[in-house]
Amino acid sequence: MAATDVLDRLRGRIGTTAPPVSAVVEAGHLKRFAEAIGDPNPRWLEEAPPTFLVALVPASMHLAEAEEYGKGWLNGGNRFEYIEPVKVGDRITGTGRVADVYEKAGSSGTLLFIIFETEYVNQHGRPVARLRGTAIRR
Amino acid sequence: MKVKVGDEIPELVKQPTTRQLVRYAGAQGDFYEIHYDQDYARSVALPGVILHGLLKAAFLGQLVTDWLGDSGTLKAFEVSYRGIDQPGRPYRCRGKVVKEDGRNVELEVWGEDPDGNRTTVGSATVEMREPA
Repeated sequence: MAATDVLDRLRGRIGTTAPPVSAVVEAGHLKRFAEAIGDPNPRWLEEAPPTFLVALVPASMHLAEAEEYGKGWLNGGNRFEYIEPVKVGDRITGTGRVADVYEKAGSSGTLLFIIFETEYVNQHGRPVARLRGTAIRR
Repeated sequence: MKVKVGDEIPELVKQPTTRQLVRYAGAQGDFYEIHYDQDYARSVALPGVILHGLLKAAFLGQLVTDWLGDSGTLKAFEVSYRGIDQPGRPYRCRGKVVKEDGRNVELEVWGEDPDGNRTTVGSATVEMREPA
């Protein structure tokens, strides 16, 4: 079955690291993000709210072959770990890697799980946050 | 701020709309069509456009930071998406203190649809400025 072949190829990507991506936290972007989530807290004019980093640097790697599996993507979950606040003007570099790939039986057939991990470092070289995300193909 | 195990934190009710999904898609840079294109969403067996999981995570993040204010720092935040949610239906975010050990407090957080289904479940770990 083609799905097994896709699974094998994807499992071969475990441990693969994406090229680091850097971006500066801009006041305008932060404001647009806070408005989009509907959080009026003035604190977010200066500081990144809990989920902002996913908007700054892509949180998952593009694995084209995963799209051969199932019909669509679902987000299974996210885990954020915070080490230091992220503020306007910070230059954040995110490095993502494929942490795991596995198949699991769901209520309507088999699902493919891809676990991504991203580490975010600021302009001083200090880690500020980590993210673990579960992408599902269904 | 005094906290004890079993305390429920003030709930937050959000009213997501398709307009909000489009704004969020732009602000996050997630242009997956299931969040704004009804025909596309139905073509992948969804009832219509659905909320971004990360938008629901942001709602739960607001629930926690609204409650916490400057009384402490958010150290970890985890969410798991158990069901889909559609715009036009209120989304009720709730949380409860499940562990308290000096300055370290853990909350259980969840988001409920209008039928009471917990479509997002998770936890938040906070470090209080003063011992609870």
